[in-house]
Amino acid sequence: MRLPAEGTLRVIATFVAAFGIGVATYITIADSGGGSPVCIAGGGGCETVANSTYSHLLGVNIAVFGIVGYVLLLAASLLRGDVARMVGFGVSLVGFGYSVYLTYLELFKIEAICQWCIASAVLMTILFGLNAIRMVGYVGKPA
Amino acid sequence: MSGKGSREARHDERLRAESESEQGERRRRLLQIGSAAAFLVVAAVLVLVVISANKTSGGDTNLEDVGLVANQLKGAPQNDLVLGEPSARVTLYEFGDLKCPVCKGFSEEIVPSVIDSKVRDGEAKIEFKNFTIIDEESTPAGAAAIAAGMQGRGWSFIELFYRNQGPETSSYVTDAFLTEIARGAGVPDIARWNKERKSPKTVAEVESTTHEAEKLGFTGTPSFAVEGPGTKGLETLGTPGSSEAIEEAIAAAG
Repeated sequence: MRLPAEGTLRVIATFVAAFGIGVATYITIADSGGGSPVCIAGGGGCETVANSTYSHLLGVNIAVFGIVGYVLLLAASLLRGDVARMVGFGVSLVGFGYSVYLTYLELFKIEAICQWCIASAVLMTILFGLNAIRMVGYVGKPA
Repeated sequence: MSGKGSREARHDERLRAESESEQGERRRRLLQIGSAAAFLVVAAVLVLVVISANKTSGGDTNLEDVGLVANQLKGAPQNDLVLGEPSARVTLYEFGDLKCPVCKGFSEEIVPSVIDSKVRDGEAKIEFKNFTIIDEESTPAGAAAIAAGMQGRGWSFIELFYRNQGPETSSYVTDAFLTEIARGAGVPDIARWNKERKSPKTVAEVESTTHEAEKLGFTGTPSFAVEGPGTKGLETLGTPGSSEAIEEAIAAAG
């Protein structure tokens, strides 16, 4: 099977990472004001998730870690070479794994769904897919 | 000339083959690192899920029914320990002890119906008042609820406390437990909540409402009273046996 060109993968990853930065920044800003993100489709899921004990890690809103992750992924998608390929894969892998865990928490522990968290999980899944293809297909090859 | 050219071609080919071999080796190594990283992340997620699934409720950091409480109180304003529109004509007073298992039962089976039928539509508001009768942990629990109320999360705190209540005779109301409840209830400023729940003024308020309950003649929790245009001051209801009895008292007081 013919893989997409690395340039194409990087362009798509750049846009998705930029979108992810937007989503994570919105969640962080909404939380920092003492409130919570507003679920566009209504329901109290976003508030419930934001108010749960799982929304903070070591006293820091996990959306802040999300911003850091997306910024790293944006940088990895803008740069060439094996280091960028490996960083992109590693960061998106951790982000994807943590998104799976958070979605599990939402479904089975918090019992509420936050659309913004799901949006971030979808974006991180796409980034993981793109970076996985980039690494498997192009790592070790000339940039 | 042709012999020299052939030697150079073989040399170039050998260099190219060596370069491709090195590249292949490097690629293999990097893919191995990637596979190991993927394996570690999958293992870490599984461990997190298993640890999370094995956590128990009540006194643990993993709270039960955070979503359920949020949904139950959705749309009802919270001010101090009052749930409902401040302008509601009728006020239902609930004198309770957060460590009381009967209060927990009321919170789960009777109060939600009253919230749905009388509070959400603005007909009545419910004010929780601490009536500490269980043990010495009842006072810090009640003070923590008052402090949460100062940040508009009083009822979220009370309801979440009941849902995660420990055995009546055990000592589970630790700072860690109260903090988890406060976080789960959505208290925005935990540092401020910590300061206010420990202030002498807040503790005095718990003692004051306990005296008030005793003056009203209540001897157990939860005890209810109602006040509105149709009552002569505050009328005691004791411990009604059903949500219908409370709803009728509210209707009569309105």
